[in-house]
Amino acid sequence: MILYDAHHLAPCYAVRLLAGCLGATLDLKPLDVYPGHANQTEAFLALNPLGTLPVLVDGPCLITDWLEALAHLALTHDRAWFPAEHAALIGWLGMARDLGASAGAARLIDTFGAPGDAAAARAQANALLDEVERRMWFGERIGQDWLIEGPHPSIADLACFVFIAPCEDGGLSLRDRPALRRWCDRVRFLPGFVSMSGVFPPMANTGR
Amino acid sequence: MNGLQAGVWYAIAAEHDLPKDHVYRTMLGGHELAAWRSTDGGVHVWEDRCPHRGVRFSLGEVVGDELRCQYHAWRFGKTGACTFIPAQPDLKVPRTIHAAVWPVALSAGLVWSGIEPIGAPPALPPGAVLRAIPIARPAASVAHALVKEPLAGLALVLQPLDETATIVRGIALDDDLVRADHALLALRRRLEQAA
Repeated sequence: MILYDAHHLAPCYAVRLLAGCLGATLDLKPLDVYPGHANQTEAFLALNPLGTLPVLVDGPCLITDWLEALAHLALTHDRAWFPAEHAALIGWLGMARDLGASAGAARLIDTFGAPGDAAAARAQANALLDEVERRMWFGERIGQDWLIEGPHPSIADLACFVFIAPCEDGGLSLRDRPALRRWCDRVRFLPGFVSMSGVFPPMANTGR
Repeated sequence: MNGLQAGVWYAIAAEHDLPKDHVYRTMLGGHELAAWRSTDGGVHVWEDRCPHRGVRFSLGEVVGDELRCQYHAWRFGKTGACTFIPAQPDLKVPRTIHAAVWPVALSAGLVWSGIEPIGAPPALPPGAVLRAIPIARPAASVAHALVKEPLAGLALVLQPLDETATIVRGIALDDDLVRADHALLALRRRLEQAA
C-alpha cells in the first residue's frame, strides 16, 4: 500500500496511526505540501484532482478521502476497528470531519499560516470539544473507554484523536477537559501507537 | 489575588479524575497544578512545572510511584524530590532538586488543595460527584448567582481558575448526574451570555 503523505497534516497522521495499530506496512511517499505546494503539481492532481492529502493506493484501489482510507484499512485488516453495527460510527466520523474543519483548521492557521478565520474556527471547536468531553465523561461512568460502545477502539477514536491531541497548537485547551485528556492517554498507550509533531508518544517503554 | 484565599481548601479535581498512570492538569487562582496517584492510592498535587527546565509535569508520565518529566525524563518521587537524572545516571541527586508540592486532602470524592489550608475541607452531604463545569466568569460572580438562585439538590463548591474563570464542582444529592449536568450547563449559559 502506498500512502501519499504529509507529516504535519492530521488526516495523514490518522492513516499512519491506524496502520501502526493494525501492524500494516505503508509505503510512505512524503510530499512537500508546506511550503512547497507539491500537492498542486499536475502529477499529483492527476492522482487526486482535489489536491488533498492523504491518498491511499492499495492495488487497484485509489482512495482520496481520509475517512474512507481509515475504513478501507480497518475492513481489510481488522474489522474490530470498524463497528458497523453501531449507528454512532457514522456520527463520530462526522464529528471527526467537523473537528477537522474547526480545531484542525485553527491549528493550520496558527502554525502554518493557512488562510481562514482562526477565531471562528476556535469558537466552533470549543463547542465540539465540550460536547465530546461531556459524552466521554458520561461514557467513563459506565465503564466505556472509547467513543463507541464496546471494549475495542474504532477508527472514530483515531479520527477524532488526530485533531484533539494537538489542539493546543491551535490555541485551544484540554486543561478543563479531563475526560478528553484521559482518553488521549488511552489512545497513546495503544499497541502500535505512532506519534506526530505535537503529539507525545508514551515514554514508558523507551527504557529512559 | 485571583479569587484565591490563603487558609482555605479548594476542590481541584474529583477522585475519579485520577486513574493510575495519569497526570491530571488544572489551575487554581492562576497557579498551574499537576496531580497524580501513586500505587498506594495517595494523591500528589504539585506545581505543574519541572524544576529543571520548566516544562509542564502534566505532559509527563506516571511510572509506578514516580512522575517522569517529558523533556529530559527526570524522575520525581512521592515527596516531590528528584530521584533520577538519566543524563547523569551515577549522580546522587541533590536534595534541593524538588517539585513544588501543594497540600492535599481527599474528602467527599473530591481532591482538595490550597495555600496553607487550615483544618479539614468543608463537609459535603453524601451523593454522586458531579461532572465539573468550567464557567468563563469570576468565582465571585458565580457564587453570587448561586446565592440568588440556588440549584436544588446540588451541593456545590467553586474552584477559581484565575480572575476570569471558575470551575463548579460538587455533589448531586439524589445521584442524578444527568439532571445535575443540565442544570450546571444552563447556569453556565446564563452567566456567560449575561457577561
